[in-house]
Amino acid sequence: MIYLDSAATTLIKPPAVAGRVKWAVNNLASPGRGGHSAAMAAADTALSCREKAAELFKVPDPEKIIFTLNATHALNIAIKTLAKPGRRALISGYEHNSVLRPLYDIGADIDIARSELFETEAAVSVFDRKITPDISLVVINHISNVFGYELPIYRIAEICRERGVPFIIDASQSAGVKRIDFKALGADFIALPGHKGLYGPQGTGILICGDRTPEPILFGGTGSASRLKEMPDFLPDRLEAGTHNMPGIAGLSAGLDFVLNTGTDRIDAHEKKMLGIMAKGFDCIIGVKAYTVPGQYSQTGVLSFNLRDIPPEIVGEELAKRKIAVRAGLHCSPLAHETVGTLPAGTVRASVSAFTKPRDVYALLNACEDILRSR
Amino acid sequence: MISYLMICRSLTYAQRTAKTLERTGITAIVSRTPHDISADGCGYCVKISERRLNDALAVLKKADLSPKRIFIMFSDGRFSEVPV
Repeated sequence: MIYLDSAATTLIKPPAVAGRVKWAVNNLASPGRGGHSAAMAAADTALSCREKAAELFKVPDPEKIIFTLNATHALNIAIKTLAKPGRRALISGYEHNSVLRPLYDIGADIDIARSELFETEAAVSVFDRKITPDISLVVINHISNVFGYELPIYRIAEICRERGVPFIIDASQSAGVKRIDFKALGADFIALPGHKGLYGPQGTGILICGDRTPEPILFGGTGSASRLKEMPDFLPDRLEAGTHNMPGIAGLSAGLDFVLNTGTDRIDAHEKKMLGIMAKGFDCIIGVKAYTVPGQYSQTGVLSFNLRDIPPEIVGEELAKRKIAVRAGLHCSPLAHETVGTLPAGTVRASVSAFTKPRDVYALLNACEDILRSR
Repeated sequence: MISYLMICRSLTYAQRTAKTLERTGITAIVSRTPHDISADGCGYCVKISERRLNDALAVLKKADLSPKRIFIMFSDGRFSEVPV
């Protein structure tokens, strides 16, 4: 199979990831649940993983690295902490349902800072205009999971900091690909998955916490301060009730090794190269509408396209028959499609990773030509 | 043998404390906090030898790490709190 669905989950991982998962299943107990060697080995593995994540994202204190189930879980904690019913929350026009749904559930008054696709200055300008004293929270998607569009988070973060507005960054598509400096950003929270650009197993994610005390959404045993009826007031315990996903964390740790050793700049350059080949190839095929900036190919990791008027789901099925894995439809981001005007059908999304090869991209291009010819 | 137990707020904190001490050559062992001195229930502490307390406190201060409480553990199993 040719795998071009890395924006959902990177399927091809560094070999050490599976090795560490297997090792963890056989050797690790639960951190904080005993003083025996298997529990302490688990604790060492967890700390090591936190330290690697802290190094990658420039977090001064590894205790601020919280293990979650995925980025959605991390975003739910962050949003639950900062959003309030009836208070205004400003979000970009490219947010995923993992941002929209928690905000709706809380009853926040959602305002959308819409800007055209790939128009960075327009994005800064709309946030600048809309971050007013009545905004209680800003949520920014670093890279759109539909279009690969990178929002200028450092500039928007600066506006938030200047105006004293708390903000959350959704780094689901950028973690492991882009340089993310938590300290420089000064975010209240950054949420990210472990199973995408960090090459960990599914069921892993990270929430990076700033100075604000986060509100837990899961309550239970932490192996610490057990006589208290409330969750401990210190991190990471406050947000990590219940038994940890140690195989996942061990695998994530190996994935982080790969990213740290390879370097995000190299991974980013490789992904850009693959998308450049893809975008140029689509430019040469009549009947393809690719969502790129012609000649610039400025998106990261993800490229959305449609083939004539063929429904994206059909294109996805046709590609699957040709053993090419992509994702079609709305990608859990109806807001992004609304912003760009690709509702109701959505798009076909091809997404790459550090392990994508040019031949994978050429296979996609050939398959798309074949589908167009056959219909 | 007499040892000092540094009570830490969390397992992660205890691990960081021990790692910081070990890096400077002070042997430090993370272990469960004995029930007698664990005010809030389960917890972890860092055990160091009697003669390294002052060095350890200096290292931890430099690293901006501070144990919650410190106890001296006598060879007969008794504990006595040491003012930090």
